[in-house]
Amino acid sequence: MAQLTSIADPAIRFRALFENTPELILYQNEASIILDANPAFLALVEKPKEEVLHHNYADFLPPDVQPIFQEKLREAFTGHTVRFEVYTAQGKSAPRHWDVVKVPLIEQGKVIGVHMVARDITEKAQAQEEIFVQNRDLQQFTYIVAHNLRAPLASALGLVDLLGTEEPGSAYFEETRTYLEASLHQLDLVLRDMNTILSVRDKLGLAESEAVPLAEVAHQVVQNLREVLAQCGGTVRIDIPADLRVGANRAYLYSIFFNLLSNAIKYRADERPLHVAITATGGGAQETAIVAADNGSGFDQELAGDDVFKLYKRFHIDRPGRGVGLYLIKTHVESMGGRITVHSKVGEGTRFSILLP
Amino acid sequence: MDTILIDDDPTSIFLTTRLLKREGQPADTVKSFRSPVDAVAFFRKQAPTGSLPHVVLLDLNMPLLSGWEVLEALKPLEVSLLGKSAFYILTSSLALADMARAKGYPLVAGVLHKPLDRAEIQTIQARVQETMPS
Repeated sequence: MAQLTSIADPAIRFRALFENTPELILYQNEASIILDANPAFLALVEKPKEEVLHHNYADFLPPDVQPIFQEKLREAFTGHTVRFEVYTAQGKSAPRHWDVVKVPLIEQGKVIGVHMVARDITEKAQAQEEIFVQNRDLQQFTYIVAHNLRAPLASALGLVDLLGTEEPGSAYFEETRTYLEASLHQLDLVLRDMNTILSVRDKLGLAESEAVPLAEVAHQVVQNLREVLAQCGGTVRIDIPADLRVGANRAYLYSIFFNLLSNAIKYRADERPLHVAITATGGGAQETAIVAADNGSGFDQELAGDDVFKLYKRFHIDRPGRGVGLYLIKTHVESMGGRITVHSKVGEGTRFSILLP
Repeated sequence: MDTILIDDDPTSIFLTTRLLKREGQPADTVKSFRSPVDAVAFFRKQAPTGSLPHVVLLDLNMPLLSGWEVLEALKPLEVSLLGKSAFYILTSSLALADMARAKGYPLVAGVLHKPLDRAEIQTIQARVQETMPS
């Protein structure tokens, strides 16, 4: 019996393959007319067989890809198997990435028709694109980190060189040593930043979602910053409905409020006491809109351009800061599928708007 | 020889000033701008008077304006600055692209990497003595 199966009629075997494979299979003549089409193709273009057979394959393709299919068909009719990738819709289907092979059928040295087999590689193509983007981001990240490690290191090298010639015990010697200490501390901070950022990136896509009560998290952050706030005479008004819950990662939300509020404190205006208003609306089926507005020193949005949320980009000369906070906020917001925008005016204040799905 | 440092990092300004001092340059001939915006304003004011520094050491990575943006802002003043002030880019970055990019700015006499060393300072001093007698 086993032998019987193995020598089943080849015609039956190939017909079964033709009927059941998920790949699209067409048989075409030189004029591109479809002489046979398998169920996978009929299902994709959502047409019965009689509306497909004896029609030109071009009828099922958008104009922009018709020339390439035409050209490859011509090539196959010269007796060569051709293979190419194309991104296209077929019939009324959504556009997909296709790996297409056209195989000539040769009888007595003459090509009498061409089989086309098209495999859907959309998921593979998307995964490749994702890897490409991730690779590019990582390269950029490495470049930024390398640069920001070199800056304090170069200072330390120069200061050590100076120490060799300053009079030990002199005021300059002590000052040089203090700067050296600060540079090494800075170097350490950059490495710590790297750890923080890498751990955030690691969790991308895995962010544990729960129904987080937003007001509670905001109040918790204010509570934890109350000493700093009291020192600078700052006040925070939180206007978030107590029952507003967001399907989000609690730690991320905490980090977002913490960094927003720390920034507001750091960049407050000297001439007036800091006031920050945090409001949120939406929730449930709607998007949640969070707005944090302060009356701080603001920044020149035209000068800052697209750099506001970039790693290690800074916009103030006279305030400390490494350019990490807003980068983290944006990373957190985006990992929860949200987006963030900012409006700022020098001398008036800054308003961050966050939309979470 | 008058020198202007444009660098947002106070450590860097302290260091470069002391290194220049060690090579014999009096501290009162070194002026610094931590804000690139203020530095551009200074050059706009000084260019018509002709009273300009011999050497400018320009950092690249700064808030508000990068070193490149400073050079762009100074382009309209190029005629009055050329031959008077030699600009050197002084950066901690080792990116090779900086060298190529610097070639696009006639004002830039060279790209130096932090920290400055004795030989580099002496080379700058010798060059200024040669090309800018005063």
